[in-house]
Amino acid sequence: MIVEGTYTFPGPREVVFRLLLDPDVLAKTMPGATSIARVNEDRYEGKMGVGIGPITAAEFDVVITMTEKVVPESYQMQIDGRGRFGFTRGKASVRLTADGESTVMHYEADMMVGGKIAAVGQRLLDSVSRMMLKQGLEAMSAELDRRLGKEPA
Amino acid sequence: MKPGRYMGQSVPRLEDAKLLTGRALFVDDVQLPGMLHAAFLRSDDAHGILRSIDASAARERAGVVAVYTAQDLGDYWRPGPLLVPPPPITGLVFNAATQVPLARDKVRHGGEALAMVVAESRYIAEDALEDIVVELEPLAAVTDLEAALRPGASLVHEQFGTNLAAHVHQSKGDYAGARAAAALVVARRFRYDRGASAAIENRGIVAEWDARAEQLTVWDTTQAPIPIRNGLAAMLGLGESQVRVIAPFIGGGFGPKIMMFYPEEVLLPWAAMRLGRPLKWIEDRRENFYATTQERLQIHDAELAVAQDGRILGVKDTFLHDTGAYDPYGLTVPINSQCTLLGPYVVPNYDSEFTAVFTNTPIVTPVRGAGRQHGVFVMERLLDFAARELGIDRVEIRRRNLIPPDAFPYDHEILFQDFRPLVYDSGNYPAALHKAVEMIGYEAFIRSEQPRLRRAGRRAGIGVVSYIEGTGIGPYEGARVTVEPSGLVRVATGVGTQGQGHFTTFAQLVAEQLGVEVDRVRVVTGDTREFHWGTGTFASRGAVVAGNACHAAALKVRDKIIALAARLLEAEPGQVVVEGGSACVRGAPDRSFTLGELARRANPLRGAVTPGTEPGLEATAYFGPDRGNAASGVHAMIVEVDPDTAAVEIKRYVVVHDCGVVINPVVVEAQVQGGVAHGIGNAFYEQLIFDDNGQLMNASFMDYLLPTALDVPTVEMAHLETPSPLNPLGTKGVGEAGAIPTGALFAQAVEDALSGTGVEITEIPLSPNRLFELITQAKGAAA
Repeated sequence: MIVEGTYTFPGPREVVFRLLLDPDVLAKTMPGATSIARVNEDRYEGKMGVGIGPITAAEFDVVITMTEKVVPESYQMQIDGRGRFGFTRGKASVRLTADGESTVMHYEADMMVGGKIAAVGQRLLDSVSRMMLKQGLEAMSAELDRRLGKEPA
Repeated sequence: MKPGRYMGQSVPRLEDAKLLTGRALFVDDVQLPGMLHAAFLRSDDAHGILRSIDASAARERAGVVAVYTAQDLGDYWRPGPLLVPPPPITGLVFNAATQVPLARDKVRHGGEALAMVVAESRYIAEDALEDIVVELEPLAAVTDLEAALRPGASLVHEQFGTNLAAHVHQSKGDYAGARAAAALVVARRFRYDRGASAAIENRGIVAEWDARAEQLTVWDTTQAPIPIRNGLAAMLGLGESQVRVIAPFIGGGFGPKIMMFYPEEVLLPWAAMRLGRPLKWIEDRRENFYATTQERLQIHDAELAVAQDGRILGVKDTFLHDTGAYDPYGLTVPINSQCTLLGPYVVPNYDSEFTAVFTNTPIVTPVRGAGRQHGVFVMERLLDFAARELGIDRVEIRRRNLIPPDAFPYDHEILFQDFRPLVYDSGNYPAALHKAVEMIGYEAFIRSEQPRLRRAGRRAGIGVVSYIEGTGIGPYEGARVTVEPSGLVRVATGVGTQGQGHFTTFAQLVAEQLGVEVDRVRVVTGDTREFHWGTGTFASRGAVVAGNACHAAALKVRDKIIALAARLLEAEPGQVVVEGGSACVRGAPDRSFTLGELARRANPLRGAVTPGTEPGLEATAYFGPDRGNAASGVHAMIVEVDPDTAAVEIKRYVVVHDCGVVINPVVVEAQVQGGVAHGIGNAFYEQLIFDDNGQLMNASFMDYLLPTALDVPTVEMAHLETPSPLNPLGTKGVGEAGAIPTGALFAQAVEDALSGTGVEITEIPLSPNRLFELITQAKGAAA
């Protein structure tokens, strides 16, 4: 499953970059995330619950490893999620470009999905992942607004 | 065998009262005191190296009794048997790799079993699966047959250095010469994809070890109870008589239940013995999509060489066969494809070669039709294309090529799945084609109905296809017939029953010979304590092989009845008439004994008998045919296609079939109707879709479409009866017939409805979606 697109954050690149790597922000903004901890500089571990079609509460243990981090421009992520209802793993890359006062995020992910979620949730995988991404990015954008309110650019 | 009092009559099915009132025993009905429940941890990955399995947390969970991984099985862990060794064909290559009880070093398909949890309830067992931690290093999966054979492809079984499972070449005549002489050669690539058998009842097993009696009882949804018993006894170090396998009523077999040994069949009896408690596992529907065998992806590159008048000069076919992750069933399926392609036609030159390929997908074994679909599809489509190019009517090109009725036995000069030459025993193919064309009203449809509908903007099409089904193969089955003192007749045979009507048809055969009412005959099938010689229910052979065994045993008992009655009544054996539940002297109905009384007299408590006398009115007989016989048929259908939505409506469906002598017409019709439903699903709805990683993407009935009652028409049927000379009853098989030509028929009829649009159908299943794509593509090409 390939997910790609762009999203514009109303704020400067450095702030957006920090925001994207902040585990507290991730925990708060990622739909279904119940916990996310940064276990070291480049490794995050967390739990996420996802509902896809007939699978209403699939809980995944998620490990994200960051590589090729270039502050505040880009990073790669190795994502590994496992749970009773299957697994998802793959790579994602994020690139940030400044656009005046805003920051454009370019993202691309190639994810493999397996097990029950692939077998019985297939029809909904695309739309659910798109929806989750949209919710996550919007929540993050709202968080950015809040931060910028506290620390004006 | 001529129609008799029961033979050839539509006797209502004796088993239906039990089935309809919920009194029939299925495996899941077995409830035993203290019974434990098993659940299986199955791999989410299709291919990977198994680094470790940690089940310690699962073992700690309250209510869990045991957890077994491959390591815990010790010496009991061993790959399953190779069920069908490769036939003796020159130059044949076969790489045998049979399934394992639990994956040990490597996972080779999604859903392969990794561990078994035994707990006080299935609920607890399922929860405990979550506690097991598996460390698996994913490998690239192979799912594409052509990519699997390329150098550098990920290997399903490293020991072979290739994903090639088999290579077989069979030929007759000189195809190259035929091609050179041909007026036309049509060549196409055909694809026939995989589906599930989707029986209503999934698999299930209950195992109970009685330590005092030293007796293991296993209830199993198998089509082969006797081989399961023999195999379990060997594996567990028990005597065969210490193991009783019962295959009670089974909600559909369709082939995958003849597969053995499934991991669950190996593990449950073993664990029940170790734990000293009965143990049950019932497959759930999602498991069934992975853990039960499937069929039938093949890709054919085929060509047909014909003369100007449409006469077949030769066929060349090269195909790839997907055998899945293991090949325990040998080459049965692709050899069926290879043989069945020849159909009812004279094919003087034939060159057929196939390569079976290992892939990271569930195991492929026969599913109703068992490879025959592919052969019929390829041949019938090639004939359709040749007819179109030569300007010959589709029915006419078939008529010109049929084997004539006086050409039997007809030798195709290649080897069939039973290792015997592919020789058709009998048939009357022109009569069947004529009858089907007449019933569907082919001429009138083509001449007036179709043009009339077309003028009204409606697209209706017609199809007519022929097929042969090799049925009734050996090795043998047996039956024991006993007249009890009550006058009831008991029949026991080894084949299992999955809804075919055995309780009625076998009873008819015996009632016919013993002159009793058919409902006085009680048939027992699939219980090794009742009868323990035989192989199983497969290859459309029940009525042929077990049927003839029942018939032979009944004849022996009849002889015993006559001999005893003649002695007691002081008459000549030739004067004794056996009818109405009695034996009497011809012309003197008062000089008679009931069969029950004779049974009592045949088993005296005191006194002397003639030396050599056997007690009772009982006999056992076996039947093993020299080779399989050739059932045949013609299917015809009229469809209407909505070119905008690609919806297909089946307007009429006609089947003329010839399964030799018919024991019970209604039972045969039900088999054909059910087969057609299966075939329609296979043709237009059912398809298992795997992604490049070997992930099955539609493992539920939400996404895997089955035809419903609204999609399956009532089949209009005619029986032709060309007796088989290979058995005394003259019967042939019919269990798979309905499902075999449906894909070819569907393609022809739909293509006919869309004629002029440029749509050409070379693949099955044609989902509504796929047909829509083909229509859209054709529109694009035309624009």
